[in-house]
Amino acid sequence: MYDQIAKYTNKLIADRSAVHGWVAFAAQDDRLLTSGEPQLARLAGDVLGRLDALGLVAARPSLPFADFIVQRTSADESFIIPRDTETRTFLHDIPFIRSDEFATDGPKLLARLLGNRKGVIVEGVGIVAVGAVTVEQAYINYSSVFHATFVKYLQDLLTGGFLLDGEREAFDGFRNDWLRPLGAEGLRFRSGPLTEPAVILSEVATVGRYTVECGLVDSFFGNISCRSDDMIYISQTAASLDELDGCIDPVPFAATSTTGITASSELAAHRRIYETTDARVILHGHPKFSVVMSMQCEREDCEITDCWRDCPHVRVLGETPVVAGEIGAGGLAKRVPPVIGESGRALVYGHGVFTTGRQDFAEAFQSMVEVENWCRHEYFRRLAER
Amino acid sequence: MYGWTGKILKVDLTTGRIWRESLPVELIHAYLGGRGLGVRLMRGFHTLDPFAPDMPLIFSVGPLCGTAAPTTARLAVVSRSPLTGTICDCSYGGHFPWRLKGAGLDALFITGASSQPVVLSIRGDKAELVPADALWGNTVPETIASLADAGSVAAIGPAGENGVLFANIMMGEGNGSGRGGLGAVMGRKRLKAVVVNGDRTVLIADRQRIEHACHDVMRLFRASPIIFGELGIAEYGTPALVDLVNQRRMVPTENFRRTFFTESRNYSGPAIRREYGTQKGGCYGCPIQCLKMTPRGEYLPEYEALSHFGALNGISNLSAIVRANTICNELGLDAVSAGATLSAWGEGRGRFPTADELPGLLTDIGHRREDGALLALGSRRVAEQLGNPDLSMSVKSLELPAYDPRGAYGMALAYCTSNRGGCHLRAYPLSHEILRKPVATDRFSFSGKARIIKIAEDTNAAVDSLMACTFSFLGATLEEYAELLSATTGFEYSPQSLREIGERTYLTERFYNCANGFSVADDRLPERFYAEPGSSGDGIEVPAIDRARFDEELQKYYRIRGLTPQGTFADPGYLEKSP
Repeated sequence: MYDQIAKYTNKLIADRSAVHGWVAFAAQDDRLLTSGEPQLARLAGDVLGRLDALGLVAARPSLPFADFIVQRTSADESFIIPRDTETRTFLHDIPFIRSDEFATDGPKLLARLLGNRKGVIVEGVGIVAVGAVTVEQAYINYSSVFHATFVKYLQDLLTGGFLLDGEREAFDGFRNDWLRPLGAEGLRFRSGPLTEPAVILSEVATVGRYTVECGLVDSFFGNISCRSDDMIYISQTAASLDELDGCIDPVPFAATSTTGITASSELAAHRRIYETTDARVILHGHPKFSVVMSMQCEREDCEITDCWRDCPHVRVLGETPVVAGEIGAGGLAKRVPPVIGESGRALVYGHGVFTTGRQDFAEAFQSMVEVENWCRHEYFRRLAER
Repeated sequence: MYGWTGKILKVDLTTGRIWRESLPVELIHAYLGGRGLGVRLMRGFHTLDPFAPDMPLIFSVGPLCGTAAPTTARLAVVSRSPLTGTICDCSYGGHFPWRLKGAGLDALFITGASSQPVVLSIRGDKAELVPADALWGNTVPETIASLADAGSVAAIGPAGENGVLFANIMMGEGNGSGRGGLGAVMGRKRLKAVVVNGDRTVLIADRQRIEHACHDVMRLFRASPIIFGELGIAEYGTPALVDLVNQRRMVPTENFRRTFFTESRNYSGPAIRREYGTQKGGCYGCPIQCLKMTPRGEYLPEYEALSHFGALNGISNLSAIVRANTICNELGLDAVSAGATLSAWGEGRGRFPTADELPGLLTDIGHRREDGALLALGSRRVAEQLGNPDLSMSVKSLELPAYDPRGAYGMALAYCTSNRGGCHLRAYPLSHEILRKPVATDRFSFSGKARIIKIAEDTNAAVDSLMACTFSFLGATLEEYAELLSATTGFEYSPQSLREIGERTYLTERFYNCANGFSVADDRLPERFYAEPGSSGDGIEVPAIDRARFDEELQKYYRIRGLTPQGTFADPGYLEKSP
């Protein structure tokens, strides 16, 4: 398992969700093993030893947002409920432990919370996440909590502003130093239309990797497909966008085979987009500013309470339409196709971005970059205005 | 009491006595219901011969049955298997479970043997034994039709009456996917059927909380391509697996001599839909409705039956396979064991059954006549009588289902550690090794599999004690179901505490098996899997299983479980220390 631990330690550093040197994993087969920063590794081992699970990661996030959220939360609260779709669907809520609580009986309390949820924020320590069946799963859950706290903190700032000492300075550091410009410069895309299966598989894997490497999305958040004649080549469910070799399902356009049962949960959305537009490729990811801005609805006196599922309205951010719709069969596949045809881009409330290319991935990738850059710019504009 | 009724109906078929008792609350909390409660209630009876009159036959629902919690209108039937000699539980849906709960019962505990065929009839608080001479000999559909006016029916067919070792108990509404021959236990008791009708509602501690948790579960179902995806089981039923398992080159073919069957496309999910224009059906209140029927109401085969009457016997004729499945439903036969036993017999005699021969052979099995007299004993005994025990592709005498272990090493291990014999559902490694849920694992590696299988066995034992459907967990997790249980019962449960209940259930089962002589010698795959490769191709290598590596992982598994290297308990007082 050490190879798995090394792999996901490196991924946490490469995707810049954890601080280099402040990552530890624990894993157990017939014996418990730990690796990483000694203090965190002891904690990881102590907690995992109390759980019926295979892997656990404890790491300090590269941004202080999770701690800020805890400190901004009233003293009687013990968990947060970020509004992004990832949390709503898979995490439900994220428990936290304040530093003084942790000082008294930290590992025991942490194990109890992780016996009920996939990830926990420990103030002053970091994010601790568990993987029931693999080390990779612990990494995914860490990544989900990092994503959720990022989105929630940015949303909270728009509504509540800076409240804590040092918060503004830390945020300026995030804006000026942590964030990197997004662009497609230097990336090479094959010119379309793509028709040869081997070329398609290679290009899908390459573009999936691009989206992660340039910081547009995190590795597990998204899916990608290419249409060729009577087939859709689409990334598999629970596949990392930066590791798609061998994880792309060829799915017959006409449902003559169910081999693609392992295809992404958004297969239905991809299929309908192909059926109703001239798209030849589709890219879907969860760029963080896009997720934040998709939820900044200014409609007043609205009676809808479940905006993710029930909102019938089409808003526009920049030139990008925003619609509601939950994952898979939850409505997204009905609401995205009618609005994506004209601009080749669509935002889904709390979820992420769909973009299309009429020939190849160059257009789809550039569209996603533009949507995220617009949302990033608009976010900072609104924050400055509040 | 919230969630549970706290009541058990005990029936002594020898004396005809029927009475209600209260279930000890501490037992309910420690074992939940369903499989866990049923297994616990077997304590003290677990070394009896499966056909001994005192051997209990237990029907046990879960605490969520009768609530809005998705896929939980199910029950477990628990006893000792006459096919395997192991403890055995089978999960059933349909409408019977919630009607039993509606009669104010968490469980039925049936012992003794009647001198004449009887039906146990339960109507609300009243229960009686009704003579059933006129029903004896009837098929399952005939029996269900005769009793349908009185409620939901669990019945045996001729196979159970005649003691076929893989006879099933069948529920009305087409749900009869049992294993291990508990229909024969019921037949030996001369109990033709149980019919039940109750309409009491379940008391729920926090309705708002359960409603919220139901929304969480449904969101995850909709997010799962396996459940509600356009190629998933809600659309095609379990036949959605036909194409996938074949493409992965792990479909058992011709008694596991090969692992790829070109003609399987003839009975794939889309092929069945084209041919029969399938309609959806399923268990009470289930949103998935994975059961598929013809417009005339004939139940269509599940994946296992398709593949074992298909590839395993080299048959690609869809109508013949559907007919074979229908005969199994009529006679009350486990289609998996039936198909596998025919296949082992076919290899032994040098010719697999043809499509035309299937109906006659299956009917002979159900009536234990002609070749069916031997085949009714299951593949292990058939192979022994043919002088070649290695022909039986079984573990602990339970015929393996339609996933070749050479194509998924977690599956290989799970077949051997399963407490009811070679079964994929105890740990359901298909979820991560093939279906990528919750995450994908390397199917051709043993690395980490001992721990993964242990955790999954505990999880699934908890799921089977909640009596939720295994398929639910291709979308949802114990997190959401712990919330449903807490909201229903008013007691706080977590995934961790549920897994601990699952572990207790699993170890109790293992202890029973050890008490009956099972050990490491029985936790082994058939020799073929260590000696012969599968059908490699399309860039997929399917080698034989490395025996040394398998044994190493099995020993790891024992250490994780706290067992001895022999797979037994170091502490002979384990049971007494458990609740």
